[in-house]
Amino acid sequence: MYILHYAPDNASQIIRLMLEEMGLPYRTALLDRSTRAQDSAQYRAVNPTGLIPALQTPDATLFETGAILLWLCDSHVSMAPAPGAPGRADFLKWLFFTANTLHADSRLLFYPEQYAGSPEAIPAFRSACEARIHRDLGLLEALAASAPDYLNAQSPSALGYYICCLIRWINLYPTDRTGWLHLANFPALYALALALQERPAALRVSTAEGLGSTIFTAPHYADPPEGSVI
Amino acid sequence: MYILRFSPDSASLIVRLVLEELGLPYEARPINRDAGELSSPQYRALHPLGKIPAMETPHGPMFESAAILLYLSDRHPGLAPAPDALDRAAFLKWFFFTSTNIHPTLMEIYYPERVAGEAAAEAVAVHAAARMKVLLAALDTAAEPNPAWLSAYKPSLLGYYVAVLMRWLGQNKPSSVAYIRSTDYPALHKVVAMLEARAATRTVAEAEGLGAQPFTDPI
Ligand SMILES: N[C@@H](CCC(=O)N[C@@H](CS)C(=O)NCC(=O)O)C(=O)O
Ligand SMILES: N[C@@H](CCC(=O)N[C@@H](CS)C(=O)NCC(=O)O)C(=O)O
Repeated sequence: MYILHYAPDNASQIIRLMLEEMGLPYRTALLDRSTRAQDSAQYRAVNPTGLIPALQTPDATLFETGAILLWLCDSHVSMAPAPGAPGRADFLKWLFFTANTLHADSRLLFYPEQYAGSPEAIPAFRSACEARIHRDLGLLEALAASAPDYLNAQSPSALGYYICCLIRWINLYPTDRTGWLHLANFPALYALALALQERPAALRVSTAEGLGSTIFTAPHYADPPEGSVI
Repeated sequence: MYILRFSPDSASLIVRLVLEELGLPYEARPINRDAGELSSPQYRALHPLGKIPAMETPHGPMFESAAILLYLSDRHPGLAPAPDALDRAAFLKWFFFTSTNIHPTLMEIYYPERVAGEAAAEAVAVHAAARMKVLLAALDTAAEPNPAWLSAYKPSLLGYYVAVLMRWLGQNKPSSVAYIRSTDYPALHKVVAMLEARAATRTVAEAEGLGAQPFTDPI
């Protein structure tokens, strides 16, 4: 049995979508962000970085979204090319790109006060982040348009859920600056988002975390039955 | 045969050390940065963002140093837990941690003006350096029990990755906000000091002119 340490509509959502899609038994352990439970000694023992998510398996504790995704895919031989399979090399490069470039840039965008250096620098900082995110999504659009096994609208994939969740949050955060990203300009990603949000796994996660419908293509702020998004 | 597109002392160094350590046949093909090769259509076909490294493989072109490392170690075992090994989970989380936290933070320290413009560069670097110390302390704690995937006694994928990052941090001037030495992190220091003495490191240090102590006392 897996235990997912989560907060609603946080990066843990990517892992929850995977667990649901793979039909794996798991239970959730809520981190109350309103009291900064991610900084508690108890959670730091699970994840010393204090970031969400973490996944406890019968043998180990994992953190880092990309690491958890890859480990789940390889352990259950599903949702990504297995080691040695055709497409593995390509999948790995885009997984790492998504984790250390698109996801890392999204974090910068969401928490400018932690990264911009000073409040006066925030406007320039945001513009630079938004430009990089446009560039990154342009590359992923080209990739999605070529519809490789590990990223297409016909079948659920680890990379597909990862990218679509990031697109969701880029459209919602920071709350005082939204509406600059137009998913319609990225038709292959749009088709992917549309297909994934209609999957039963996505609908279950949407109910559990209060996300409403169209979670990827036209997201609304979460109204979760438990916990706090920020 | 692997063809590594490299520039001395850039992120290609991490991959080159691992290719040497694994004893794999490869060609190190230099990138002519001054001639703008990173922007050439030929290079962009290997790496759409025009960054270093890129590597040609029997499975097509690859980029992202961490992806290349993992691809190599899964094909040629020895430097990291195999996909079905029990300690794969522990390895993967710290490997991604390094790739998604430490490596990008280092780029902020090196190129702070890219983050929010020239005016904010100094403040950005101060913040990034403070974060870097927290990240390295966490990794140092993970290295303390000497896990096989970040050991002080045998070479590892993550060890080489960390060694190169330590090298770049150690190149900062003592007056810099980000003056960080491997000796500040005792467990990591043991790892990189051991790697420094490896034949693979000697070979690459010679080829790229990295000096006698490329990780613990970089020049
Ligand atoms: N690189 C990390 C990033 C995770 C992350 O940014 N998590 C956010 C929530 S979406 C978080 O924990 N924020 C709380 C905080 O920074 O204190 C990963 O991929 O797991
Ligand atoms: N995440 C990439 C980062 C690569 C990277 O930033 N490379 C630098 C050299 S160390 C580069 O290509 N810089 C040239 C540029 O940005 O134009 C990786 O790990 O491969």
